[in-house]
Amino acid sequence: MIYPSAFRRFAFAFGAAFAVLYVVAVAKKLALFTVYPSLGLVVWGTHFSRDVVDPALGFLAPAMYWYGWAATAALGALVVGLLAAAMPERWARRVWPGWLWVIPALAMLGCVYLTVPWFSLNP
Amino acid sequence: MVTVLLIVHGLVAVALLGAITHQALSVWAPARARPGSFFGRYRTVPTGAFTNAIIVLYSVTAVLGAIVYLYFRVDVRPALEQASRWEALGFFDLKEHFIAIGLALLPAYYVCWRPSRNEESTRTRMALTSMLAFIVWWSFLVGHVMNDIRGFG
Repeated sequence: MIYPSAFRRFAFAFGAAFAVLYVVAVAKKLALFTVYPSLGLVVWGTHFSRDVVDPALGFLAPAMYWYGWAATAALGALVVGLLAAAMPERWARRVWPGWLWVIPALAMLGCVYLTVPWFSLNP
Repeated sequence: MVTVLLIVHGLVAVALLGAITHQALSVWAPARARPGSFFGRYRTVPTGAFTNAIIVLYSVTAVLGAIVYLYFRVDVRPALEQASRWEALGFFDLKEHFIAIGLALLPAYYVCWRPSRNEESTRTRMALTSMLAFIVWWSFLVGHVMNDIRGFG
């Protein structure tokens, strides 16, 4: 079965757009929501532990952004994917399909760059 | 409870690792391997049939990992921070980033493994499968090492 090209365009655009938006969300700290697992709390937007507890007690309420970053990127990628699905097929033919893997590969390198500070901390 | 979840997460990850490795090797290795050899038999399995299983296994592993991650943040990470295991935390962060990117590539991966005579589609399929294989191997190894450094319970 050959899949309808609208779904193909959606899938390709979604994957590539997610990768870009995910790196942007991580770099700019754009979490759609913040999770505080020890408090069982989910708060809209990016919040820091010092926003919900005394800064000295921040370690008691660790904040998690990974879910929020993924949600931000998924929401943005959904919009891009739907736009791509609505795009005329002749426009899509001009786009090199290799971007589908080149863009995520570059995004992964971006993630490596954003993670470098962990490795520069002294033991 | 979290220990059970972690074990199931690990077992599903092992199944995923086997399936994606098989598929990745099949797209890279020549199809003309000697038929009677182990690799020849390994290579001749219709790896396209693995696609749906890989998508399901990847999704289930990611969801289980996302649940376990909540406990990790509260119970394990503070201990690693106190022990100054910054490199381990860095590798774990990368694992989380890569998994998210891989998860979003699954719809495209699914489309790429549909029948096509297009040469470009074959190249994209090879690249995507290799990328997912790298993500799965990275995540498996980092997750395993993290659990060795400081597990639950």
